[in-house]
Amino acid sequence: MIRRTFLLALPAGLLTLPVRAADDAPIKLRDLYEKDMSFSQIALSRQGSRVGIAGFMAPPLKAESVFFVLTKLPMAVCPFCEPGSPWPDDILAVYAKRVVDVIPFNVPIVVTGVLELGDHVDPELGFYSKVRLVDATYARA
Amino acid sequence: MKKILLSGVAVLAMTVATSAQDLPQAASPWFVAGQAKIAERLAVQPITAKAKNVILFTADGNGVGSNYAVRIYSGQLAGGLGDDYVQPQETFPHAALVKTYSSNGQTPDSAPTAAAMNSGVKTKNGMINVLDTVNVDDCAAGATAGAKTFAEIVSEMGKSVGVISTARITHATPAAVYARSVNRDFEDNSTLPEGCTQKDIADQLLDQMKAGVVDIALGGGRQHFLPAGVKDVEDKEGKRTDGRNLVDEATAAGAKVVFGADDFTALTMGDNAPVLGLFEASHMKYEQDRSGEPSLAEMTEATIKALSTNENGFFISIEGGRVDHANHAGNLHRAVVDGKAFADAIAKAMEMTNAEDTLIIVTADHEHAIAFNGYCGRGSKITGLCMKENPNGIEHTGEPELAADGKPYTVAGYLNGAGSVLIEQADKTFAGSRPDLTEEQAIDPDYLQQALIPMTSETHSGEDVALFARGPWAHLFGGVVEQNYIFHVMNHAVSAQ
Repeated sequence: MIRRTFLLALPAGLLTLPVRAADDAPIKLRDLYEKDMSFSQIALSRQGSRVGIAGFMAPPLKAESVFFVLTKLPMAVCPFCEPGSPWPDDILAVYAKRVVDVIPFNVPIVVTGVLELGDHVDPELGFYSKVRLVDATYARA
Repeated sequence: MKKILLSGVAVLAMTVATSAQDLPQAASPWFVAGQAKIAERLAVQPITAKAKNVILFTADGNGVGSNYAVRIYSGQLAGGLGDDYVQPQETFPHAALVKTYSSNGQTPDSAPTAAAMNSGVKTKNGMINVLDTVNVDDCAAGATAGAKTFAEIVSEMGKSVGVISTARITHATPAAVYARSVNRDFEDNSTLPEGCTQKDIADQLLDQMKAGVVDIALGGGRQHFLPAGVKDVEDKEGKRTDGRNLVDEATAAGAKVVFGADDFTALTMGDNAPVLGLFEASHMKYEQDRSGEPSLAEMTEATIKALSTNENGFFISIEGGRVDHANHAGNLHRAVVDGKAFADAIAKAMEMTNAEDTLIIVTADHEHAIAFNGYCGRGSKITGLCMKENPNGIEHTGEPELAADGKPYTVAGYLNGAGSVLIEQADKTFAGSRPDLTEEQAIDPDYLQQALIPMTSETHSGEDVALFARGPWAHLFGGVVEQNYIFHVMNHAVSAQ
């Protein structure tokens, strides 16, 4: 409400702002991967850059941690599908700047951080990841 | 007196009118189609020869509502409005509604429902082909209370047996073709309780392949065949804790084992060697995300081709295993895309078989907590917003219907699940309101339809499912039947004199 009022009050010359905002729109998690789970051109071109990625916070593996997993869909654990609940292939590991303040698993969020590609095993958790956002902040979408 | 006389005249007039084609609506395409359907139904004759082959298609979690969603999706994918689309199985001459409850569950899971179809008796939720006198997890009692399966019966008749699923091949629906288990989760030995003498489900599949009961098994689930510490072709580790490598054991026993689309395509089948295809560590991918794995239609085609070389015939159980999983996730898009892939497999089977000697049954094991809103105009996308009907035309107006909160809503929704509009708050209570929604957001492949009750996984429901059948003795299906009756029709069809 407030934002809309603000935009309407802007001088005409500043109306390019929303266009720039669209350029910076968060990447969808699925856009980081090709169907064969190789990295997409979008992922390769943004490697090492600070990017925003939309997804959902999976219930953290450990309390009082800076680590969580971003999932494409809410991590709906199916008791009849996955005893042991393995992770889907297309996930992203997030290392936040601060200890994670948990957001419910089904609330859309945007995580902003530096995109890292390549195999990595977390030395503490033993969690294997192919892609990460480090030095990350996050907010509800 | 006058009133009675007038009524008599009206009845006479109607009798004359319905026997003639001079009704004012007779030229309407609706009327013509109705007349054509009468002619089609009058021509249907029961086929009472013994069934040489039986194919049982099950789309997991694809009840009447989910099947409706797949129909609309498929029709819209083909460029139409969706409603009038006819799926391959919907051309079959015989149909029934099926009651899916289990011995102890108003709402069933996929274990007792598959057992009902494969052994002819209902049992308790969580159990596969073990009588319901046994308690779940009671390995000792289960050892002496197993049911004989339809696959074992027809194998003794000299028929070949194939089992196909896009879920893990050790998952409940395919497992019920070849295994008996007091708990569906005993997919490998790591989940067997201490002291339990029952063999795990993967081990039972290997036994049934060695025994000559199962000839072809295709699906996911590599992790249950490999020991912990051993990685598969996609670098995923096995789960077995007994050190056994069932892939190696299957190969040593003469089976051909394949892991992906390429080696599957290159495989020579039909030379009497058993085939084990394990295309993923866990479930095969959703059709929406599929890469490097054969489709359900491709697996169906290869299996029918291979088993058709047996002059005694075959039984094939074919499961579209992931309509269920997408529904559990509350993601209707993946459910309907997998439902279309299931229909494509049915079309392939229809094309490759003859109704005179092959009984094809298409059904689901249970339904989900899916529901549909109104009043949507025709052509509203099944995963999208409910659009206003057009009083001056056929297709919707393009303007979304609004609820009392002033927001649009989707055609389909779920009663519970991850898409709940009630969100957990910091104080652990649940509160919320429906998010605003655009058509673009709603038809996104990753969108979760709005739900009411908050749950991490959307649930099954106990609602009836549909069954469609063609071929020998398919006419024994009709009305409302119990799910275990399916076995009895299959058994009658292969045994009839």
